[in-house]
Parts: sequence; C-alpha cells; structure tokens
Amino acid sequence: METSQVNQTNRSLVKATISSLVVAVIALVLFILPAEYSIDPTGVGQKLGLTVFNEAGSTPTSASSDGEQDAVLLTVPAGKGIEYKLSMNKFQKATYEWVTDGGALYVDLHGEPKGDTTGYFESYTIASVEEMKGSFTVPFDGSHGWYWKNNSDKDINIQLLFSGNYVIEGLK
Amino acid sequence: MLMLAVLVSFETFAHGVDDSTRNFLENNTGVQILPFVYIGAKHMVTGYDHLLFLVGVLFFLRSTRDVLLYVSMFTIGHSLTLMTGVLANIQVNAYLIDAIIGLSVVYKGFDNLGGFKHFFGKQPDPKKTVLIFGLFHGFGLATKIQEFALPSEGLATNLLSFNIGVEIGQFLALIFILLAINFWRQFESFNRFAKATNTALMSAGFMLVGMQLTGFIVS
Repeated sequence: METSQVNQTNRSLVKATISSLVVAVIALVLFILPAEYSIDPTGVGQKLGLTVFNEAGSTPTSASSDGEQDAVLLTVPAGKGIEYKLSMNKFQKATYEWVTDGGALYVDLHGEPKGDTTGYFESYTIASVEEMKGSFTVPFDGSHGWYWKNNSDKDINIQLLFSGNYVIEGLK
Repeated sequence: MLMLAVLVSFETFAHGVDDSTRNFLENNTGVQILPFVYIGAKHMVTGYDHLLFLVGVLFFLRSTRDVLLYVSMFTIGHSLTLMTGVLANIQVNAYLIDAIIGLSVVYKGFDNLGGFKHFFGKQPDPKKTVLIFGLFHGFGLATKIQEFALPSEGLATNLLSFNIGVEIGQFLALIFILLAINFWRQFESFNRFAKATNTALMSAGFMLVGMQLTGFIVS
C-alpha cells in the first residue's frame, strides 16, 4: 500500500519547505545554538539567560566584591586538574562553599606569594571530598585559591560560591 | 545549587543518558539484564529525535497491519546496526549520525507533504526508506552506547537486553503517539492541520540537523 499524503501545489510545497527552514534557522540562531554551544551572534540567548548552560569553566572578570557573593560553575575534566584563584592582600579573608555534582575531588586550597618565582606555595587545606565549606585569612599578598584534581574517569562539575575581599583571577 | 540542578538536568535532556545512568553503565560488572532493559526503554521514550521520526512515519498510517509493518521495518533496521555497531566496535561520529537522524525527520515531513511525488514524479518506497533510516537510528544508539567504556564481561547479553529495552520503549512511545494521532484523525482539524504539522516536523528536523552539524564543527 502507498501512504497517503497531503496534496500540494508547487507553490505551497515550496512555501512549506522554505518556511520550515526559515523557522528552523531562526530558532537555531536565537535559542538553540546559544543554549547548546554558547554561540550567540544576536545576543538574544544571553538576554534570555540561555547561555548559562555553557558558562561552566568561564570566568567572571568582575573585580572585588563587598559582601556580595560570587558564584561560578567549573568543570574538572576526567583525569585532569584545574586551578581557580583569587588575588588577595595580607590578612584579607574569603568565605567559600563548594559542592560537586557527584564524586569526590582531590583539593588543595593554597596560596602563592606575590612576585614569587621559586614555585613556593603554602597549603591551607588538603582533602579528597565531594564538598567543602569554610573560610581563610591569607598570610601574605598573592594568589590564593583551589587546585582540584579529578581522579575519576568522568568529568565532574563544581558549584563554587565565595565572598570576601579579593579580586577574581579565575581559572589558571 | 539551583544552577547546578539546571546544568545537570540539561545534560540529561541533551544526551538522553543522564549522569547516574552513565555512572551505572561504566561501573557495572557482568550480566545485568533488567537495568539494561530499563536504560534502553528510557532512552527510546526520552529520545525526541526518534519520537519525531515515528510521528512522521505514523502520520498517514491507518490500518494496524501497516503500523506493524512499518514499525517492524524500522525495528529491524536499528536492531541490526545497534548490535553490529557495538559488537564490531564501529565508531561513527555521533554528531553526524544525529544530523542524519534529523535529516530523516525532514525527509519524512517532506514525504508526507507529497514532496517527492510532486517534484520527482514518484515517491521512494516508504517501507525501504524506513528500513534505511532505521539503520542510521541504530548506528546512533550504537555510537552512544560506545561512548561508555562498557566492561566486556556479559557485553552481548547486556546489549541484547538494551535492545529489548529499546523495543519496549519504542512500543510504549508508539502507543501514545498512535492514540493521539488516531484520536485527532476523527476531527476535521486533522486534515486541516496535516500540512502545518508536517511543515513543523520538517522544521524540527532542520533544527536537529543544524544543531548537530554545529556540534560537529565546534567539537
């Protein structure tokens, strides 16, 4: 048997095909590509908040915060390590909280003195955990933050919330 | 926390296989029939590209016999490539396969609009094309399964279970699609909106193609 079909004229078929293509392209450019890949030529995706999905790993470039809380989503690729740092002056304090979307990470919260070239760093906390909460007051001017290592075979996402006195350096 | 929840649920939606499933797939050992049946079924029920294609295929089928025939052709097609793809370890780029699946949706919408008969004088044998697209859909599933490093112990049995799950899921999805289409068919609006529906189907297919090809380029 043959399947039934809609009877069409040339004109309406072409019209249907072209309009379906046009709608698809518009939806792709305005919504789908921004959401899926953060490709957002019109900026509409950003305005609608659709690019949020791919902001993991991206760095807010904003400077110091006073009482404001910063939040960032990070991805630690399977078998790899990442660093997220804050630039802080001596005796300044930061409060933080982070949690993974499943699975423990090796973490080393540490600081590197400003201008140091020897590779020296001081660790404040070392652990293998799924989440951590706390604060730190830094003993010297420099770059302070987290090194996470993902020893599992799947990517792990981190939600990091922090506040205090610092300038965000971001991913290293 | 909310942002994380959004991220995770989006991942679920995008890949069809969520993190907990992925975790299970990679860490399981030995023969586990029911979990694999469940994953297969879940994959099919939540796989929007497959569902769109099925809507296109079922749109103008009236008799139970035809529905069974067409669905069987599709099933034979995707079972073949799903099993051979994984067992023979054939790697196909997932984006390209998914783009072809998107194209199959466009094709079916265009076919339902009578496009082939109109422009080329004749319609390609719809049973054969359903079989061929079934083969591609199976490769898509095979490629997704291969993204997980599945333990080889009990692999064949687990795959068979997955395939059975795919069939169960497809069957469940079919029932709902068929009920909905048959219910709608009673009303005059079915014919009135047939053109609009298939145009929308084509459009959705184009979106899938565009999305997957972009993914292929940027990945």
